[in-house]
Amino acid sequence: MTLQADYSDATKATGETIIELEHVDKFFGDFQALKDIDMRIGRQEVVVVIGPSGSGKSTLIRCINRLEKHDRGRVVVDGIELSDDLRNIQEVRRETGMVFQQFNLFPHLTVLDNVSLAPRQVRRMPKKSAESLAMQMLERVQIPEQARKYPGQLSGGQQQRVAIARALAMQPKVMLFDEPTSALDPEMIKEVLDVMVELARGGMTMIVVTHEMGFARAVANRVVFMADGEIVEVGSPEHFFTDPREQRTKLFLSQIL
Amino acid sequence: MTVEAPVFEEPAVPVDPARGPLDWVRKNLFNTWYNTLLTVALGGLLGSALVTLLRGLLGADFEIIRVNLRLFMIGQFPADQLWRPWAATYLIAVLIGSVGGSLAAGAQDRAREAGLPYTATPFRQVLWRFWPIIALVSVILAFTTTPAPALLTLGATLVGLGSYYLTRRLPGGIRRWTWLFALLLIAGTYVVLAGFGGVGWEDWGGLHLNLFLTVAGILFAFPLGLMLALGRRSSLPAIRGISVTYIELVRGVPLITLLLFGALAIGFLIPSDLRPGLVTRMLIAITLFESAYIAEVVRGGLQAVPGGQVEAAQAVGLSPWTTMRLIVLPQALRATIPAMVGQFISLFKDTTLVAILGVLELLEAAFIVNAQPEFLGKGLFVLTLGFAGLVFWVGSYTMSRESRRLERRLGVGER
Repeated sequence: MTLQADYSDATKATGETIIELEHVDKFFGDFQALKDIDMRIGRQEVVVVIGPSGSGKSTLIRCINRLEKHDRGRVVVDGIELSDDLRNIQEVRRETGMVFQQFNLFPHLTVLDNVSLAPRQVRRMPKKSAESLAMQMLERVQIPEQARKYPGQLSGGQQQRVAIARALAMQPKVMLFDEPTSALDPEMIKEVLDVMVELARGGMTMIVVTHEMGFARAVANRVVFMADGEIVEVGSPEHFFTDPREQRTKLFLSQIL
Repeated sequence: MTVEAPVFEEPAVPVDPARGPLDWVRKNLFNTWYNTLLTVALGGLLGSALVTLLRGLLGADFEIIRVNLRLFMIGQFPADQLWRPWAATYLIAVLIGSVGGSLAAGAQDRAREAGLPYTATPFRQVLWRFWPIIALVSVILAFTTTPAPALLTLGATLVGLGSYYLTRRLPGGIRRWTWLFALLLIAGTYVVLAGFGGVGWEDWGGLHLNLFLTVAGILFAFPLGLMLALGRRSSLPAIRGISVTYIELVRGVPLITLLLFGALAIGFLIPSDLRPGLVTRMLIAITLFESAYIAEVVRGGLQAVPGGQVEAAQAVGLSPWTTMRLIVLPQALRATIPAMVGQFISLFKDTTLVAILGVLELLEAAFIVNAQPEFLGKGLFVLTLGFAGLVFWVGSYTMSRESRRLERRLGVGER
C-alpha cells in the first residue's frame, strides 16, 4: 500500500526531485523484500525510514546505489536511471555516499587513506589535493587528529565518523545512512548523530534508516514507516509522535519509544 | 600430569614456598606409582638414546661431509668457476640487506606518521631472530678445509649489513626505487652464475638447486595461483570452469607424477631440439603443481574478507578491478600468510623429489656419497642424511619463524 497523498511533501525542501522510485519490486528468491515502492525525494530533503527488522528499509536504500538490483520498476538518481550498464551504476555511486551499520572501513589503510582513496582512484585527484580534501572532511567530522591512525585504533563512534568523512570526500549529492548508530555503544551515538545533524543543516539530501526518533524530530522533513516490504505511512515527525493513523505504525512506535 | 581439584579455602594467591623445579618434578612426574614407573622407563630410554647419539657424534668421522661439502652445497659446479657462486652470494647479501633496510625504514616512517613509537630492534634480538641460520652456517663452515670460505662468508655478512644500514639512511624518494634495484640484483645474480661462459641452471646441483627451485617455483607459481583463484570466483562460466578443472586436476595428482610427466611425456611430445632441459621441465612441473595449491590458499583468503568491504568500496565508486586490487587482495593475502608459508615450506622440501629423475640436489647428493669407494659400506647414511635433514630443518624453521613474525607485524592496524 502506498500513500499517493503524501507526495505533496516530497518536494517540500526545494521543490526539485533528486531521487525517484517508481513501482519498485525486489525479490530475494521467493521472498519479496520490496513491494511496489513509490517514493520521491527532493533536493536537500532529509527522510528518515523506520520499521521493524526485515521490513525492507535497508534493501530500499541499497537499491538506490545499486548494492541491490531492483527487479521491477524504475530508480532514478539525479536524472540517471539505474540500469545494468556499469557506467550508469558508477555514475550514480559517485553521486551517492553511503554509511553502513558496521562502518566497513578498510582496516589495512590509515584513516587518511580510507578517506582519500576514492577521490584519488575515482576522481583521479593528485595525492596532495586528495589528502587535503580528506583532511577537510575529517575536520568536518571533528577527528583530523586521527588521520594517521588505523581504523582498528579508533572507537566505534570515531570509526563511524571516518566512514561519514569517507563518503563525503566524493562530494556526493545524496547521503544514504543504513542504521548508522545501531552498532555503537550508547555513549558514542551522540557524536555520530551530531555530525549527521550538522550535515542535514548544511543542506545535504539524506535518507536515513534509523530508530533515533530524536534525530528524526530534529532534522527530518519526512518520516517513512515501512513494514513487510511496503511503505505503510508517511508523514512529518510530529505526525508520527502525535497522531499515527495505521495500526501497524502505532504498534511499532509503542515498541521503540 | 594431573588436574588438581580447585581448593576454595586457599587464598587467591597461594603462598607456596617450595615451588622450585624439584617440586614440579615431584608433582608431575612422580605423583603416582604408575607415573613414577613411566617416568623411569621413558627417562631411561631417552637417556640411552641421547648417550648413543652423543657417542656417535663425538666418535664419528666427519670426513665424508668434509670431502663432499662442495657437492652438497653447489653440486657439480666446475671448480674453476667457484668465484661465480661466491659473487652470487655477495649480490644476494646486498639484495637481502637493501630490501630489509628499505622495509625497516618504511615501517619507521609509517610509525612516525601515525604517531606511534618505533624502537629499533637491538642487535642481540637480531642474532636471536636468525640463530638457526647462524648456527647452520657455523656448522657448515666447520667442515671446510681452508679458511677462505669462512672469510668470504664473513665478508658477505658485512656487505649485507652495510647495505642494510646504507639503505635505511637513504632519503625516501630514492628508497622508493629499492624494488627496481632488487630486480636488477636478481637478474645480476643469474647473469653472474650463468652468463659469459658460466653454468646454466640445467647443471646446478646441491642445496643451490633446492633453493633455486624453491624461489623460482614461488615466483612463478604465485601469480599463476592468484589468477586461478580469481578465475575460480569469476562470473564468467568459461573462466570459472577452466580454473576449477585445472585446480582439481592438478591437486588430484602427486607431485611425482607431474615430475615424471614433465621428464618423460613432455620429452616425447616436444621435438628434441625444442625440448627444454630437465631442470626447466622440473621447474615447470613444480610451478604447475604449486599454483593449484596456492590458488586454493588464496581462495580461502578471499572468502575471509567480509562482504561489507566490497560494498563499501563499491559505494564510493571504486571499479571492480580497483576494489580487488586495493581492498580485497591486500586483506585476503594478509589472511593467508600462515597457509601460504606452510605451502612454501612444503615446496622447499618437495624440491628433493627431483632426485628421482637423477638430478643431483642436496638429499640425493647426501645419499649417493655413501657409494664412494672410501666410504662404501661404512654405514654413514645417518651422518650424511642427518646433515641434509639439518639443512632442510633450518630452512623450514626459519620460514616458519619469519612468517609468525610477519603475522604479528601486520597485526598492527588490524581491526
